[in-house]
Amino acid sequence: MIDFKNASVTYPGGVHALRDLTLQIPDGEMVVIVGLSGAGKSTLIRAINGLVPLTGGDVTVDGKSVAKARGGELRRIRSRIGMIFQTFNLVKRTTVLNNVLMGRLHATPTWRSLVGRYRPGDVEIAMRALERVGIVEKAYVRAANLSGGQQQRVGIARALAQEPKIILADEPVASLDPPTSHMVMRDLQRINRELGITTIVNLHFLDLAKVYGDRIIGMRDGQLVYDGSGAQADENVFRDIYGRSLTADDVLEAAATR
Amino acid sequence: MTSASLARPAERPRKPPRSLLGPAGIAAFLLITYWAVSSEFGIGLDLGAIVKDLDRGQVILADVLRPDFGFFERTIPAMLETIQMAIIATAIGCGIALPAAFLASRVTAPNAFVLRVDRGVLNVIRALPDLLYAMIFVAALSIGPLAGIMALILFNLGVIAKLLSETIDGVDTGPIEAARAAGAARVQTIRTAVYPQVLPNYVAFSLYVLELNIRASTVLGLVGAGGIGRLLNLQIGFGNYDNVGFIILELFLLVFAIELLSISLRRRLV
Amino acid sequence: MTASVIPLPRRPEAPSRTKRNLTVLATLALLVWALLSVDAELDRLVDLPARLASMFDRMFLPPDWDYFGTAAAAMVASIQMAWIGTLIGAVISLPLGFFGARNVSSGPVSNMVRLFLNAVRAFPELVLAVVVFVPIAGLGPVAGTLAIGVHSVGTLGKLTAEAVEGIDPGPVEAARATGARPLQVQRWGVIPQVLPEVVAFWLYRFEINLRAAAVLGIVGAGGIGQILSNTLEYRRFDKAGMAILIIIVATILIDYISGTVRRRIIEGSGARRIQGDVLEQPELVEVPASPLSERGRAMARVDTDVG
Repeated sequence: MIDFKNASVTYPGGVHALRDLTLQIPDGEMVVIVGLSGAGKSTLIRAINGLVPLTGGDVTVDGKSVAKARGGELRRIRSRIGMIFQTFNLVKRTTVLNNVLMGRLHATPTWRSLVGRYRPGDVEIAMRALERVGIVEKAYVRAANLSGGQQQRVGIARALAQEPKIILADEPVASLDPPTSHMVMRDLQRINRELGITTIVNLHFLDLAKVYGDRIIGMRDGQLVYDGSGAQADENVFRDIYGRSLTADDVLEAAATR
Repeated sequence: MTSASLARPAERPRKPPRSLLGPAGIAAFLLITYWAVSSEFGIGLDLGAIVKDLDRGQVILADVLRPDFGFFERTIPAMLETIQMAIIATAIGCGIALPAAFLASRVTAPNAFVLRVDRGVLNVIRALPDLLYAMIFVAALSIGPLAGIMALILFNLGVIAKLLSETIDGVDTGPIEAARAAGAARVQTIRTAVYPQVLPNYVAFSLYVLELNIRASTVLGLVGAGGIGRLLNLQIGFGNYDNVGFIILELFLLVFAIELLSISLRRRLV
Repeated sequence: MTASVIPLPRRPEAPSRTKRNLTVLATLALLVWALLSVDAELDRLVDLPARLASMFDRMFLPPDWDYFGTAAAAMVASIQMAWIGTLIGAVISLPLGFFGARNVSSGPVSNMVRLFLNAVRAFPELVLAVVVFVPIAGLGPVAGTLAIGVHSVGTLGKLTAEAVEGIDPGPVEAARATGARPLQVQRWGVIPQVLPEVVAFWLYRFEINLRAAAVLGIVGAGGIGQILSNTLEYRRFDKAGMAILIIIVATILIDYISGTVRRRIIEGSGARRIQGDVLEQPELVEVPASPLSERGRAMARVDTDVG
């Protein structure tokens, strides 16, 4: 259970990225967050694992305050939250397996990670994560040699290797072409349904949001402007979220055919 | 033509005045040069006299350019010592430089204080020439390769930490965010998200420094810090310039060999 | 979960690490050999910290302030040596750089010039001073200046040649197309493109030469090095400390001034951005793309005694 209580984030430049947000996300939900860029989607997601510190209010994950946690405590919270990034954030010069093993760092003693000797059990977990996203045959290939879609699957495997309760995905398909986008979204959906991992995804494209979001949260100017099921979210709702009429750029299929 | 009825062409722009820096810069340049060259304030450079005396150097240079290959056997122990010194200094210097570089990069330093202290120390280390370190260590340890090794270690530390910390400044920060999000501690983040990105550069810098160390050995020996330079100094003292020429040639070949080795090693690594 | 109907793809085998391990092992063996066979009396390291501490104490707590004038005058001589030496190197290396560039010179000529520049670079300033210039010019700063100058010809010539090879060929073609004579093509098609970069190299070389000029006195070739070598030899550490302080302050100060001017030159010229970035910060060093490329290396300010 993720619980935002009057959470606010103001960046040093004076930008209010989150304004007094109150929101609850129960375990096991598949939530899609939509909004224009700059609406606060990324900040919202990063507030959950403390990558962006709050400047007001609180966020708790399973009752533990992320805002108040420091050091080892914060790392323990983070270890149960996997994250997937728009630009994959892989270490391109090293192997796929080493990238996925990054997800096991929280359970690995420092000296072991320094010499690069992970426990066999952790390697097994990483291999299974790769099998789940169907890319295990690439385990010893350098990440740089993979296509964008494959790299994002490695990113998902890295998150899975954490054996998380929650997965955060920040624009996971923004760098991918439409068929690959659907593949990655289906992977996330499967993970949510089969493993019961709470999954929170930032998306720009409305059609993807409607197809994959059990629940849709609309953000505008740092505030929550819509919270409801994907089925209810029609064009008017999106128009409201975006504060303007929709364009072809807002829909994946249309954007792809242009 | 004086016909005023014609449409006046657009006024031509005036030539922009030269920037102040131009004339002032040139004046400053000339002034400094005069000051430095003059015999009154400066070093008293008289090119005419030098041209006149050129033949004094000719004999020596002619000998240097006619190296005595028979000298080879006697250079072996000193050459080995040079190589040993270079290897030890490179290994230790690069070893210390690795953590120093991580502390000197904005990306990986734990806080601004550590960053500033580390950079300050490195800047001071680099402000002094390696030969001065050699002199200091000779004074502290007496003559021998140990003083040379210590001087080279400091020199290497300054070079590698600087080069590497700047490489670290430029790494892709995405993986760092990913590691932090996965709950990794700082050291783990550096090891898994940063170190693999800079490893090829680190190896390249280390090989580069190995080569610099071998080049430096000529001059280290001049102050008694061991290696082939000691032999060089001796031969200069005896006026055996054909032997001097051979030593220089030998060093040149050694450096070239190391360059070839480093190319092949780096190909394998990158 | 039940066994899946579709068999999972087989896990790949971990690639062999033998080659890597052998490389690591060989490197370690080399290091062990060096450590065991070097004639270095490593046990003397035990009292090194104490000795260094006592030297530091005698050098800087306090330095001999009465010696300030003498040491400062010697440092000024070092600065003058570096300045003139760099100037000599710049004037001679500029035409050589053009002749050494394959794109504006002919193949055989550029190869010859390159070979010459490489040979010159192989002699460190100190060796040049001892072997060539002290015999010619006698003891004193002139010998050191000439040594710096000649060595700089080697490094600057190479850098200039590489800068000329890196120009945009468009303007050169355009100048040729207007019917310009070869020298005119150089003057208006090439020089404007490379000059800012080359001037920045000169300043950069000045910073490196300053470090060389600070030690050339050790072999009697002028400047503050003479003081260093004398005071350290006679264990007048308070005087040596004064000289070292002056070297540190002067070096850092001149680096700062030179760095500022370089930044201005590069920004003002709108030179190619990447190069600009490299030169913008004196400390920023280009990774040598190939070990045989001297350009990246000469960029390294750290390259104090060898170019």
